[in-house]
Amino acid sequence: MILQIREISQTMHHNAVRLFVTLAIGCTCAASVVPRVAQGANASPPANLSEAVAISRTLSQAPATGGQAILAAKADSLAMASAEMLIPCLRSLSGATAPGANWLRSSLERIVERCGDTIPEKDLETFVRDTTQDPRARRLAFEWLHDRNPSLCNSLLDGMIEDPSLELRRDALNKFLATKEDTTDETLQKTIVRKGLMVARDRDQIDRCVTWLKEHGEQVDIAAVYGFVRAWDLSKTYDNKDGVGFSTIYPPETNNPATPLTEGWKRIHSTDDYGTIDLNREIETQKGVTAYAVASIEFPQAVTAEVRIGSPCAVQVWVNGIRVMSHEIYHASEAIDQYIASATFQPGTNSVVVKCCQNEQTEPWAADWKFQLRVCDSLGTPLGVQRLPDTP
Amino acid sequence: MKQFLALCVRDFFQGAVAFMFLLLAANARLPAADWLAFRGADGMGIAANEKMRTSWSETEGIAWRAKLPGKGVSSPIVVGPLVVVTASSGPQENRLHVIALNRNDGSTVWHRQFFATGRTLCHPTSAVAAGTPASDGKRIVALFSSCDLFAIDLGGGLLWQRSLAVERPKAGNDIGMASSPRIIDGTVVIQIESQGDSFASGIDVITGEDRWTVPRRKAANWTTPTAIVGSNGKAHVLLQDRAGVEVRSASSGALVWELLSQMQSIPSASVRGNVVYLPSENDGIVALTLSASDEKPQRTWASVKLSPGSASPLAWNEQIACVNRAGVLTIASSVDGTVGDQVRLAGQFWASPILVGKLIVAVNREGTTFLVSAGEKPEIIAKNILPGTFLGTPAIADGSLYLRSEDSLWKIAADPTAQAITSPFTRPLIAGSATP
Repeated sequence: MILQIREISQTMHHNAVRLFVTLAIGCTCAASVVPRVAQGANASPPANLSEAVAISRTLSQAPATGGQAILAAKADSLAMASAEMLIPCLRSLSGATAPGANWLRSSLERIVERCGDTIPEKDLETFVRDTTQDPRARRLAFEWLHDRNPSLCNSLLDGMIEDPSLELRRDALNKFLATKEDTTDETLQKTIVRKGLMVARDRDQIDRCVTWLKEHGEQVDIAAVYGFVRAWDLSKTYDNKDGVGFSTIYPPETNNPATPLTEGWKRIHSTDDYGTIDLNREIETQKGVTAYAVASIEFPQAVTAEVRIGSPCAVQVWVNGIRVMSHEIYHASEAIDQYIASATFQPGTNSVVVKCCQNEQTEPWAADWKFQLRVCDSLGTPLGVQRLPDTP
Repeated sequence: MKQFLALCVRDFFQGAVAFMFLLLAANARLPAADWLAFRGADGMGIAANEKMRTSWSETEGIAWRAKLPGKGVSSPIVVGPLVVVTASSGPQENRLHVIALNRNDGSTVWHRQFFATGRTLCHPTSAVAAGTPASDGKRIVALFSSCDLFAIDLGGGLLWQRSLAVERPKAGNDIGMASSPRIIDGTVVIQIESQGDSFASGIDVITGEDRWTVPRRKAANWTTPTAIVGSNGKAHVLLQDRAGVEVRSASSGALVWELLSQMQSIPSASVRGNVVYLPSENDGIVALTLSASDEKPQRTWASVKLSPGSASPLAWNEQIACVNRAGVLTIASSVDGTVGDQVRLAGQFWASPILVGKLIVAVNREGTTFLVSAGEKPEIIAKNILPGTFLGTPAIADGSLYLRSEDSLWKIAADPTAQAITSPFTRPLIAGSATP
């Protein structure tokens, strides 16, 4: 009997050990072959604030390619940071690379989702109010605060109609424009909408203000609101059959700053609300051609500004002889501010040259040969003053 | 001791084999329970084993409706416990959203937002959220018109991202890009084709690094890569544009064969067995029979009477269906292209039709879902109307249809008489992510 018990015991012991060893083999194999599926489960949170901030800075500077696994591990770690680390890490959004901003944002949003109401409202409010912070970061803080305290956010909007964050400005302006309904005094209403029009930067809000003002008998110079350049000197046409003209250097490109008003040039002044220069009308309806337009813009001091152009045709733009953009795209939509480039303007007179190429497509929707251009800051505020042409 | 260790190893392998068998058995049910990409896991829009209800309205037969944080024309996908959909918002549509909803009740499980890094202009009909995400069951890959590509784990953690317009600044077009990513054998295949930088890439689904990139014709194109099986089961991808088709190795990008012939640039190809059905510019549908040795395929038939508009063709059994620009659904023999009966639907169709059981499900832009019998003599079985604008192709999983309007995701309740197919895996949400 004792022997039998010992035998059973030995067998059980043997089986237990066998099971243990088998499991150990299995675990070892699993650890070596199971891919990183639930990576977040293994991430450890930042040990302290300085580590969290260091991670957020690393994420914010992520390159366009490479190092994805390391970044993902860091993102998982930062996502486990504590609530009080949120705002210091949010500051890293300032100066972030394009992919870096998204790495950082995704981690910070995970902190917010995880920490819920423990996110300190006061810190968020202070951050939102601080206009020296990155506009995108302030907007994020605003939305996180809004989820917790919408009435506070609503009151914060009162001082934001000229905010450097376009999104905050937009919400503030919607609220501001709604105040015209609080009065029946049309003069006061017009004052509100005029003020709104001055600070509006999104096209739908500008259109709303313009429509209301026109309906109430007001005149609005829409092109001036946007800051479209209206006075141009147009060249004669050059060859662009088979698209050869886009990269061909014609005389107006070698004569910068261009000195038009010689033979073959035409001075025009757009009366279009959106500053459109219709080359079919101003020159001649042609296919497979290119033309140049030259404008002069005055600046009181040196400034880096955005040149924004919209055109259904292939375009290149030079500022003071330096090419700032080149888009060889034909008839694939058009929009205000379709292409944006940064350019440096000098004190005094600056030349802007546009090369606008028309191709040989025959479809009705490919007939347009035109452009519109404005110079503004990063928010869309018009910059520079144009010297109007002499009256013909 | 050696004998003992040998026993342990044997036990391990026996256990592993049993475990793998169970895993495979579970995986075999995956396609029935999940809907992992544009027109389903294999991109063909077929859910022959599913059964769905035939009647619903805004107030009847709706399991849930989820308001989305932005607009979009992408389709939802169903991955384990999640329904994933993309959206874009803001005056410039430069805010990108990937939203994971609880499949059961439509509540938000997690919501990732990103800044667009490329162009976000697009035609008002479309949206920056136009491409349908894809999943391999473990991660979700979302491609936006801004050429931003994100891989996210099922718990909402960002695994990798590619700012393709930062890498190639001329990529994108201002009508809007709409090609969806396709995951083939561990490679995410994307087509970024426009008048600017134009290319196709195969990207490692785990690391986000390029496996291959090839230049493509500089012209706008909205078709989605199509997975096809090459010789000896090799995973290939078919890339279609207006100038023709290329078939490449999904893993290396090596060219297998190409065919120069004018094709359409919106509807994508369908595959059934060893036949590819291509939407042609001038010949309606062109059927190509693939060779067993990866040589250039033979043109089997073509029919101008089959003329898909924006919706991709649907091929099943020995039939093929197309919805043309006039909203007429035509069914033909997929064997020889002989056209059978037609049925006039109504409205404009951007969403591709799918097959659920024996029903063709076709959703028009105006929100009417037509259920058409998938026989030789098609008949409209039901018309169900929901409010909104519908451009996304529907998804089906566990007998429930998912319809995406411009601003909402609707789950049509499963047929009460159908037995629900439960998801084979209950995937745990990853630590550090939101919980429902």
